Amino acid sequence: MSGKTAPSRRWVRGLLTAAIPLGLVALTACSGSGARLGLPEAATEQAPHVGNLWLGAWIASFVIGGLVWGLIFWAVIRYRRREGDAPAPRQTTYHLPLELLYTLVPFLIVGVLFFYTVKVQDAMIEQDAEPDVVINVIGQKWSWTFNYMEEDNPAIGTNAHEIGTLERIPDLYLPVDKRVRFNLQSADVIHSFWVPSFYFKMDVIPGHFNSFDATPNRLGTYDGKCAELCGEFHALMLFKVHVVSEEEYNAKVLELAENGNAGERKLEAAKQAVWQTAAPEEQQ
Amino acid sequence: MKAEKYTFWFIFIFFGIVTPIHWFVTKEIAGTFALGATGLFGAFIAGYLTLQARTFDPRPEDREEAEVAEGAGTYGFFAPKSIWPFWAAVVTAGIFLGPALHQAWVTILFLGIGIWACSGWVLEFYRGDYKH
Amino acid sequence: MSSATVTHRTTTTDAQPAPAAVETHSLGSNIMKYFTTTDHKVIGNMYFVTAFVFFLIGGLLALGIRAELASPGMDYMNYETFNQFFTMHGTIMLLMFATPMFSGFANAILPLQLGAPDVAFPRMNGYAFWLYVFGSLMACTGFVMPGGAASFGWFAYAPLSNSIHSPGIGHDLWIMGLYLLGLSSILGAVNFITTIITMRAPGMTMFRMPIFCWNILVTSMMVIMVFPVLAVGLLVLESDRVLGSHVLDPSSGGPILWQHLFWFFGHPEVYVIALPFFGIITEVLSAFSRKPVFGYYGLVFATLAIGALSVSVWAHHMFVTGAVNLPFFAFMTFLIAIPTGVKFFNWIGTIWRGSLTLNTSMTYAIGFLTTFLFGGLTGIILASPALDFQVSDTYFVVAHFHYVLFGTVVFAMFAGFYYWWPKFTGRMLNETWGKIHFWTLFIGFHTTFLVQHWLGVAGMQRRIADYGAWEGFTFLNQLSTFGAFLLGISMLPFIWNVWITRKAPKVTVNDPWGWGRSLEWATSCPPPRHNFESLPRVRSISPALDLTRPELATHHLDDPGELLDDHVDAAELEGSAK
Repeated sequence: MSGKTAPSRRWVRGLLTAAIPLGLVALTACSGSGARLGLPEAATEQAPHVGNLWLGAWIASFVIGGLVWGLIFWAVIRYRRREGDAPAPRQTTYHLPLELLYTLVPFLIVGVLFFYTVKVQDAMIEQDAEPDVVINVIGQKWSWTFNYMEEDNPAIGTNAHEIGTLERIPDLYLPVDKRVRFNLQSADVIHSFWVPSFYFKMDVIPGHFNSFDATPNRLGTYDGKCAELCGEFHALMLFKVHVVSEEEYNAKVLELAENGNAGERKLEAAKQAVWQTAAPEEQQ
Repeated sequence: MKAEKYTFWFIFIFFGIVTPIHWFVTKEIAGTFALGATGLFGAFIAGYLTLQARTFDPRPEDREEAEVAEGAGTYGFFAPKSIWPFWAAVVTAGIFLGPALHQAWVTILFLGIGIWACSGWVLEFYRGDYKH
Repeated sequence: MSSATVTHRTTTTDAQPAPAAVETHSLGSNIMKYFTTTDHKVIGNMYFVTAFVFFLIGGLLALGIRAELASPGMDYMNYETFNQFFTMHGTIMLLMFATPMFSGFANAILPLQLGAPDVAFPRMNGYAFWLYVFGSLMACTGFVMPGGAASFGWFAYAPLSNSIHSPGIGHDLWIMGLYLLGLSSILGAVNFITTIITMRAPGMTMFRMPIFCWNILVTSMMVIMVFPVLAVGLLVLESDRVLGSHVLDPSSGGPILWQHLFWFFGHPEVYVIALPFFGIITEVLSAFSRKPVFGYYGLVFATLAIGALSVSVWAHHMFVTGAVNLPFFAFMTFLIAIPTGVKFFNWIGTIWRGSLTLNTSMTYAIGFLTTFLFGGLTGIILASPALDFQVSDTYFVVAHFHYVLFGTVVFAMFAGFYYWWPKFTGRMLNETWGKIHFWTLFIGFHTTFLVQHWLGVAGMQRRIADYGAWEGFTFLNQLSTFGAFLLGISMLPFIWNVWITRKAPKVTVNDPWGWGRSLEWATSCPPPRHNFESLPRVRSISPALDLTRPELATHHLDDPGELLDDHVDAAELEGSAK
């Protein structure tokens, strides 16, 4: 019996040792996003918290998964029925110490993951009492309205807004390295405000106020999208996030204000607009 | 009946523990109510089984050493065939088709037919081949 | 064998054989047979056929979705059609395929494994089946209605699902159809619970039931716990739509209330369609490893724990709503990983040091282990709110639940089909076509869904009809679409297999596999009208095997053995058995 197992055991070990470097090569081959296991490049100060947890969770998963897959495949290869085997193997029904082991050890793993998860989520949803910039976001079918609340900012001195439409997706300008407060409100159905590079999304729910903070720290243009099904043109409810220098940000907001978009577009106005397009017959 | 009743008492105990924790941690009403109700409904069934089990000795299926012969005899009445489940389902579907089509008369019509289908089901074995 | 007492159990209809007229084989009487049947085996087969038809319809919808997503831009659908397709795909797969498949397997196998002549309420069983048929037809009728089928996603979030944002009769039909489906599931569950509690064979104590029966019990308990909550939600939603009530109105917190109600049902529903299939896997692994289930008690308690925990984790679907407590639901969700892990290790314990016959059924069971494991791992990642902030509502979630649900329901369903086909039909399926079927399905499945994890993390949100050419999603989407079509094609070998084996030689023995343990293998293939000509004596969890291989029975009662015990190997056992 033991003479037979040796070559197959060596073969499996060889396969395993070959698989590890291959996996690493595959990972690094996908350049940057591969090293982040698929995540886009982080664009906020908060995002790396999630990025690190993501890596850690996957490493733990691959270790556990690798162990379990290894056991499954080992059992399938090793204990496959062969010519000349006894009709029945040993009728094992339980092994209490082993069962206790694999019941209790996962508590430890879960505990560790829970500890880090709470730490990271607290960092992500933490809100500053005094954010540098406040943006009131309104989701409406099927675009976004961004209100730059800059009345009290001496460099700008006025609120301004931009209303996106299906035909023209809106641009959101954010100053780099400033803590931005996003206030999320919906004029009609549930939307979800998501910038993949921020590693964060939050639902935009009618009748339920939501807000979060983010500090963009990398200049560039990023995609933003609605992540919650909101009706027919859900796929088109996009926006562009431009993280720019503070001067450029001030100039953009002023430009908006000068082009007739001064002041804040309030939720009630947005609701009225939706009401008219969504249910014209109810207006009669 | 031991394992049967404890399976349902387990529901009561589990939700009896989780419901207060859920309430104190989340202060959320809908979920607390749903969890608590789940535990109570578990207790209904568990209580019923517990009370029932007092009225008879352990059944053959409760005893490890029971012989098959102990289960012999008439098991109960099993309908050999019946068209009434089909008609009852037609009627039930019709009743709920009413709201779906925004037509109250559909519901009322099928409630009427429902009397026929329901009677057919209940009275099926009062006559015919399998009368009892 | 001679020592096993054999007795006839009767039902009153056995005493009064059906009139001869029923036995004629004209088309009309054949059709009437299906309309009037109360036989759990026939109803089980009707569930299988109907659910499989819906599986194929849902699959075609999925192919439509994948074809549209193969390249950026709207190729051949419009946005509304796309929304209808994925809404109905989800609804059909969960409530018209997977849940009835549970009822199908429970009907077909549960009474046999318990040694019962039928389920407890045969007419209610028929009623539940027909409710399922009419509920499904009602929900699907939307496709031919003006305005089309439901398009608000299978979880119908308020206020998108109200009459202003989703007018159209298709939505109402969907809501009421689902109500009927829920009713059908509840009645089925009541039936199974009663059958398990009151109709077991003498000596078949609860802890001698096969794991499959335990899983059906726990599943049925979950069904009666959560489906009423869905029913409440649906009636309230329809009342808002038709009667003009304002329960789910945003001004009174309706959107969040709906999410609570829906997910209080929706999350356990995932386990409702997973647990029975775990049971199938347990049976298959045990039979084809020629070993009893490893850690029976552990598996039972793990199943109960999964059942109870899964009812208290629903709000992990709402992590990004900003309206739920994150640590509580994260922790409860993490806890589910523990009983699930126990199940995994017990499955491995079952095949460990076994004597594995890698036929199609067993291959599907191994395919399930491989696939579901990955779904479980991504599930733990999704249970972490911090990571959910990024991947919630993306293709990562889509990939995750297809690994979990397809991995469970479809792989285990086919494992169960190949395993129990002789019990259902009296004939064996072809092994060669079975292997072809498995490998096309396996490769097709992983090609479709593995890449979707990357798409989701990189920023592809779910339920979008279109994505930007600049986003770099095109290649992976094309790969996924290719896989989906391979997956679709993989159904053909199965259908062909069923077709060519319709006239295969009849199985003449009780157990064609030779190593079946539970009572269904102690009766003919297919079993007679009330299942057993005679019942074997039940003295362990393997009554059928005790009958055919008594030498093993004594062995495992005297000495259950230890997993790590290296000294006794199979050769010695063979000696002792002789």
